[in-house]
Amino acid sequence: MNINHIQHMVEEDGIVFLSYGGFLSQELISGMTEALEKEAQYNDLKMNISNNIFIIFIELSQNMMNYSKTKDLTNRDIKPEGLILVSKDIKGNYFIDSQNIVAIEDKDKIEPRLQEIESLDKEGIKKRYRELRKNGKNTHGKGGGIGFYEIAKKCTKIEYKFKEINKNKFYFHVKAHIATYEDVE
Amino acid sequence: MKNLIFEATKYTPEINLDAKGIISLVGKSYPENTFEFYKPMIKWLEEYFEVNEFGTTTINMEIIYFNSSSSKLFFDFFDLLEENCEKHTITVNWIYDGENVSAQEAGEDFIEDFESLKIKLVEK
Repeated sequence: MNINHIQHMVEEDGIVFLSYGGFLSQELISGMTEALEKEAQYNDLKMNISNNIFIIFIELSQNMMNYSKTKDLTNRDIKPEGLILVSKDIKGNYFIDSQNIVAIEDKDKIEPRLQEIESLDKEGIKKRYRELRKNGKNTHGKGGGIGFYEIAKKCTKIEYKFKEINKNKFYFHVKAHIATYEDVE
Repeated sequence: MKNLIFEATKYTPEINLDAKGIISLVGKSYPENTFEFYKPMIKWLEEYFEVNEFGTTTINMEIIYFNSSSSKLFFDFFDLLEENCEKHTITVNWIYDGENVSAQEAGEDFIEDFESLKIKLVEK
């Protein structure tokens, strides 16, 4: 792998300032969050926007860390690793992408939530978030129940895709858009 | 009852549980195992309200940002406070930076969800 190849990609696809592909740990996530805090400071981002970016980043990477830990005999090769990418366009809007491999059992849990989120507007998402937080005795678990609602609350747009690898495994890609202009809802 | 103090880390807040009736949580909250992390605090509080059925307690919460499992944990924490607020006088100060709209909204949501608990929004 030629490093210039990556450099080129970084420059082509907007100013990517943080990307990682590998094993994830809590320490690493908090280190990367610190780097994001520096980025936000450097760019003079409004506190609200920067906090939204941090939380979306944390939710996605902790999700990735947790979902990838769902191992059973048939999915021994699903490791706590994946790709996480933070980028921004020339206007200064931010994008956070995550991609990792999930087992079909996890896809079956995640997909209905994301479908529900897609069908709701911002107010609906906030309402559902609070309902789930209130009722959810099962939201304690790793990769909990309200994580995606948290992300949806804090971003301008969320996209997702499952791409089949084989009948038990899927690539799971999430893209969160964060507009840096406050009037954009 | 003994006081309990947890130093802040990069992803957990400073927690100060003072048996004289002042409790504070200050910092960020996104632990890997949220419920494990807050378990000693919840245990301390349960014991505290058992010993101090009546009394006055002030809780100062200044959480800059927190992940979804912390949000759930805080909900359960407020639930525990609400259970005890009839006999025990409890005031929660939800402290946030004026620019931190998410933190303000989170406080407003808690106020709506816990009608009998006295939660005050305090803008820094």
